[in-house]
Amino acid sequence: MTGSKRIILLLFTAFLLTLAVLFLPLLRFKTALYTKRSPNTFVGDEKYIAVRAEVDQEAAAYIARGIPASVTEQVTERVNSKGVKTSMVAFSILTEESRSGWQLLRAGLSFSTLLCLLLVLSCLLFLTGLWSVKAPSRSGSTIQTASVVLALAFFFLVPVTALNVNISLSRKVALALSQNLPEPEMQHLFSRLDTFLYDGAAGENIQIMLGTFSYTLSPLYYLLLCPAFIFLISTLQLRCGRILQPLLRILLYTAVLLFSLFILYPFFVMFITAFRSNAETTDMYFLHILPTKWIWSNLQDTLNRGVLRYLANSLLIAGGATLVAMFCGIPAAYAMARMEFKGKRAYLGFVIMSQMFSPVVLLVGISRLMNTIHLNDSLIGLMLINAAFNQAFAIWLLRGTFVSISSEMEQAACIDGCTTLGALLQILIPIAAPGIVTTLIFVFINSWNEYTISTVLISTQTNRPITVGITQFSSFNMIEWQYLFAAALLATIPVVILFMLIEKHLAAGLTAGGVKG
Amino acid sequence: MKKLLTLVLALAMMLCAFSFAQADDITLDVIIAQYGPNTQDWFLGTGMNGTSFKAKFEEVNPGIKLNLEVVSWNDLYTVVSTRISNNNAPDILNIDTFSDYANEGLLLPVSDYCPETLFADFFPSFIQESVIDGTVWAVPDLASARALYYNTDLLREAGVEAVPETWAELEDAAQAIVDYYSGEVYPWGIDMTTDEGQAAFAYYTWANNGGFVDENGEWALNSDANVEAIEYALSLVKNGFTNPNPATQTRYDLQDMFGAGKLAMVIAPNSVPAYIAGKGFDNVNFATASIPHNEGASSSSVGVMDRIMAFRDDSADQAARNEAIGKFLTFFYDPENYVGWVSMEGFLPAVNSAVGALVASDPSFEAWLSVLDSAKFYPTTKAEWNDVKQGVIAVEQSALTGGDVRTLLNDLQAKVTGK
Amino acid sequence: MNNVFTRHKWEPYIWILPSVLLMLIFVVFPIGIVFRLAFSEISRAGVVGQFIGFQNFIDAVSAPVFPTVMLNTLIWVVSVVGLSTLIGFIAAMVLNQEFHGRKIARSIMVFPWAASLVIQASVWNYIIKMEYGNLNNILLNLGFIKSAVNWRSAYQIEFIWECAVGIIVTIPFVTFTVLSGLQSIDVSYYEAATVDGASFRQKLFNVTLPLVKPSLTVSTVLNIIYVFNSFPIIYTITKGAPANKTDTMVTYLYMLAFYDQRKGPATALSVIGFLILCIASGIYMMAAMRKEESL
Repeated sequence: MTGSKRIILLLFTAFLLTLAVLFLPLLRFKTALYTKRSPNTFVGDEKYIAVRAEVDQEAAAYIARGIPASVTEQVTERVNSKGVKTSMVAFSILTEESRSGWQLLRAGLSFSTLLCLLLVLSCLLFLTGLWSVKAPSRSGSTIQTASVVLALAFFFLVPVTALNVNISLSRKVALALSQNLPEPEMQHLFSRLDTFLYDGAAGENIQIMLGTFSYTLSPLYYLLLCPAFIFLISTLQLRCGRILQPLLRILLYTAVLLFSLFILYPFFVMFITAFRSNAETTDMYFLHILPTKWIWSNLQDTLNRGVLRYLANSLLIAGGATLVAMFCGIPAAYAMARMEFKGKRAYLGFVIMSQMFSPVVLLVGISRLMNTIHLNDSLIGLMLINAAFNQAFAIWLLRGTFVSISSEMEQAACIDGCTTLGALLQILIPIAAPGIVTTLIFVFINSWNEYTISTVLISTQTNRPITVGITQFSSFNMIEWQYLFAAALLATIPVVILFMLIEKHLAAGLTAGGVKG
Repeated sequence: MKKLLTLVLALAMMLCAFSFAQADDITLDVIIAQYGPNTQDWFLGTGMNGTSFKAKFEEVNPGIKLNLEVVSWNDLYTVVSTRISNNNAPDILNIDTFSDYANEGLLLPVSDYCPETLFADFFPSFIQESVIDGTVWAVPDLASARALYYNTDLLREAGVEAVPETWAELEDAAQAIVDYYSGEVYPWGIDMTTDEGQAAFAYYTWANNGGFVDENGEWALNSDANVEAIEYALSLVKNGFTNPNPATQTRYDLQDMFGAGKLAMVIAPNSVPAYIAGKGFDNVNFATASIPHNEGASSSSVGVMDRIMAFRDDSADQAARNEAIGKFLTFFYDPENYVGWVSMEGFLPAVNSAVGALVASDPSFEAWLSVLDSAKFYPTTKAEWNDVKQGVIAVEQSALTGGDVRTLLNDLQAKVTGK
Repeated sequence: MNNVFTRHKWEPYIWILPSVLLMLIFVVFPIGIVFRLAFSEISRAGVVGQFIGFQNFIDAVSAPVFPTVMLNTLIWVVSVVGLSTLIGFIAAMVLNQEFHGRKIARSIMVFPWAASLVIQASVWNYIIKMEYGNLNNILLNLGFIKSAVNWRSAYQIEFIWECAVGIIVTIPFVTFTVLSGLQSIDVSYYEAATVDGASFRQKLFNVTLPLVKPSLTVSTVLNIIYVFNSFPIIYTITKGAPANKTDTMVTYLYMLAFYDQRKGPATALSVIGFLILCIASGIYMMAAMRKEESL
C-alpha cells in the first residue's frame, strides 16, 4: 500500500529532524579574544608598530594553546571641534568556531530550553508517525491531527529558536561581561560557557577569552525547515478532509488567545511593575521580566496615601452619575424611540451637539457654574456634571436599542390597558436589557475615568476621585512607577469585577429577551 | 422617581449648608505645588513628625483655617488660571512665575503682609528676582542650582582623564565614551522637553556669553552667540553623543539613566544625590563640576527658584487677612518647619535662618549655596517671560526635527518684541 | 412609528423633561460661557476682559502650526475611528460565536475600557520607553531583539503609537455596542437564512449588517466626537512635542491655554472644533438617518 510507504517516509523525516537538530554544526561563534585600543595613533607610525608587535605576540600565544586566532585592525578617524585630525586604531585577535546543538545541550546553558522543546517536538513527531503505522484506522486520525499540529509548531519554532538562542546568548554574555549580572548567575554562566566554547580549556581566563562575543547562526539551521515542510505537506495530503475542521477551530482559538494576550499586555505590565522596587522599575539592563523580589507592600503604601478614599469617591461619583444619567436618559430615549412629537429631531440634534465640546475646553464655564450653585468641591457636583456629559451617549445608545426592538408587544399591552410607563418598565426594559447594560457600563466607566474637570473642581484632598488622586505619584521630582501602577491596579479592578458581575445579567437578559421575542 | 431627584437636590443643599457653617474664622485658600513624593504627606498627611503642616498651623494659630491644596505641576497652571478666570483666585499660591499676575494687578505687594523680621531673613539676591518697578511681589520658597554631574567610573574607563571644561573637550570626551562603550552608554544628557526645555537654552547660551537678554535687559534671543550655542547643542544630538529622544526624555529620565550608569554626564540640580539615593541606585560614583562653556566664554551656574505670592481679595477684611497671610509665612519659614521641608525635597533654602541647620546636617549644602550665589536666574520679572519660555522650547524642538536655528530664533525674537 | 403611546400632545415633553433640565444646566450653560469667552479678551493670567469680536479666531487660525495640528487631528480621528470600528466589529462577531472560554474572552475585552485613559496612557508611555520600557524588556528577555530598540525614534512614530493606543482603548466600546446589537437579533433570521442556503458572506451582508447598523451608526458618531475630543493619550505620551508636531486640536488648545497662557485663541479654537464636529457628524447623521427611515 502506498499509505504505509508514506508513513515510513514520515517516520524517516522525523528521525532525521531529531538528528539534524542535535548534531549539525548549527552555531558559529566569533569572538575577539583580545582588543587593544590605541588612541592618537596613525597607521604606520612608531606607536602603531610597537602596539602591533605586542598584539602579534599575544596572538601567537593563543595559537600555541591550540586556539585558532587571527589579528585584525580597525581605524577610526575624526576631526574634533578644534579642527585637529585624530585617529584611533583598535587591534583585535579574533577566533571563530562552530558548535552543534548537542554541545549546547550538554553545556546546560539555560538558553537551550527552546532547543530542548524542539527536540521533544521532533521526538513526538517520530512517535506519532510510528503510532499511525500501527493503528492507521479511526484512532489514527486524532493522532494524525496531533502530528500535523506538532509539525506546524515545529515549523514556526525553528526560526524562533534560531533567533532566540542567538540573541539571548549574546545578550547574557554582554551583560555578564559588563558586570551587570548578579554574582552567582555570572559565575554559573561563565563556567557553562567555558564548557561550551573551549571544552573547559579556558578555566580562569574565560572572562578574557569571551572577548567581544557574538553568534551567527549557520544557514544549515534554516535547512531544517525543508524536511519539516515536507512532513507537513505529506501529512496534510494524507488526511486533508478530516484535519481542516479542527485546524480552523485551533486557528480561532489561537486568534482569540493572541488578541486577549495583546489586550492584557498593558495590564500585565501594570501588575508586574506595581510590585517592583523603585530602582527596578527603571532597570536599564532589563535583567528580569518578573520582579526579582515581589514587593507586596507597595500596595499597602499606596493605600496609606489615601487611595482607598479616592476609590470610594470615584465609586460614589460614577455610581451616582450612572443613576442620574439613566433616570433622565431612559424616559427620554423611550420618547425618542416610540413617540412622535414636534422638535424631536431638533432635540436629538441638540443632544449630540452638546457632546461636541470636550470637557477640557468647558473648564472655565463649568467651574463658574459650580461656583454659582455652590457645588464647587463636592462629589454631587461631579456626579451631576458626569451625568449631564453622558446624556448624549445614554440617549443615543438607548434609543438605538429601543428602535431595533419591535414595538408590537408594547402596542398590544397598551391596547390591553397597560400605561405607557407600565409598557416601558414591564416589557421594553427586560427585552432591551443587553443594550441598557451596555449603556450603563459606558456611563459608569466614562464617569469613573473623568479627570480634567475633577482636577479643577475638587480642591479638598479627601474629595478627590482616583484619577486625580493618582497624580500624586507622578510628582515634579520623580514618577514613582510602582505606586502609580499599584494605584492604577486598584482603580481598574473594581470596574472589571463590576463588569463581570453584570456580564452574567447580560446573558440572563439575553435569554429573557429571546424567550419573549 | 421625582422623589429621588428631590432627595439628590436636598442632599446637595445640605452639603452647601455645611461648607458655609463656620464663618467667624478666617479661611485661607492655599495652593501648594507638589515637588516630590512627600509634599502632600507633609502638608496634609502625617509627614511632619507624625502630624501635618495644616494641623500644626491651625493649632498654633487659632482663628485661622487653612484650605490647603497640593496640586501636581502637571495641573497647577490649569487649576490656577481657571480659578482666576472665575474671580476665585487662591489667597496664597506657590508657583514658579509671578510676573503675569503682578502685571495684571492681581497680587498684593509683599510689604503689605510680610513681617519685617521675616523679610530681612530672605537672601537679598533672591528677593531682587521678584521685583517689578521697585515693588516686591513674591517671596522665594526654595531654590535649586544646576551643575554638571559626571560618572567618575565611566569617564575613567573610557580614558577621559579630565572633566571637560570647554565644549571642544566635551566633544572629545563624548567621542571617547562612544568609542569605548560602542553606544551602550550615552555620553551626554539633553532635555529639550515641553517640561523644561528652557533650561537647556540657558545651559548652552549662558555658556557662550549669550542668553535670554542683553546687557541692557532687553530680549536678545537671536544673538549670534545664542544661534551658535543652540547649534552646538543640536550637533551633540546629531553626532549621537546624547540620549536619543531629547524632545520627550525629561530630566527625570536623564537622572534615571545617570543613576543606572547609562549616562556619563548630565546637567542637573543639586537634588540629584537625594534622588539617586531615594531611587535605590547603589553602584554609581559621581562628582560635580561646572557647566562646560565655549572657548572664550565663561561658565556660569544656573539657578532656578520658585515663589510664594498672595492674591488680592478686595471683599475681605484687609488687615485681618494680611495678618493671617503673614502668620502663614512666619510659620512656614520658621526654621523648625522650613528646614525639614527643604531638606525633604532636596532643595536649597531661601532664608538665612535655615542655613545653619542645613549645613550642619549636610556639609555639601555650603558648596551649593556658594554656587547659588554666583548663579544666573531666568528673567522671570519680564512680562514676556512665559512667551519666551514656551518659544525657546518650540525653537529647540523644531530645530531637532530639522528647522534652521537662526530663522527660528529670528521669528521668536520678532514675535516677542513685536517687531 | 405610531401614536399608540401618546395620549396627550404634551406627554412626550414630560418624558424628556429631566434630561432637558440636566443638560440645560450643566452643559448648555458652560457652553454659553465658552461662546462668550471666545469673543472676549482674556488676559494671560486668566482675567476676562471686554468684547473683541473675531480677533481670537483670527489669532487662532493664523498661528503657523495650525495646519499641522488640523492635519494631525484628521489623521487621528480617521485612523482611530476607522480601525477601531473595523477591529471592534470583527471582535464582536467572534465573541458572538459559541466557543469555550467565550465569557472569559468577553471579560478580557472590557479591560482597556475599564482602566482610565490617563492610566493606560501612562502604562503605554512606560512600555515604549527605550531605556527601561517593558516592551524592550520582554523582547530582550525572550530573545527577539539584540539590544534595546528605540520605539520612539521620530515624532511620526510616536504619533503612530498614540493612534495605536487610541485604537486599543476604543475597540471595546465598538465591540460592546455591536455585540448588544448582535444579541438583540432574533436567531430565527439566521435560521431562515441558513434554510435558504445563504453563505457566511451573504448572512453577514444581508442579515447581520443591516440589523446592527442602527447601533453601529450611533456608536460611530459618538466615537468620532469622543475621539476628536480625546486628550489624555497625547498629553501623557508626548505633550505634543516636538513643537506641536504630535498635537491634535484638543491637546493643542489645552497647551495654548494653560502653557502658552493664550486663552482667548484657545477658546476660539474650541468653538472652531465644535463647528467642525457639528458639520461632520451632521452630514454623517443625515445620511444614516435617511437610510434608517427607509428601513
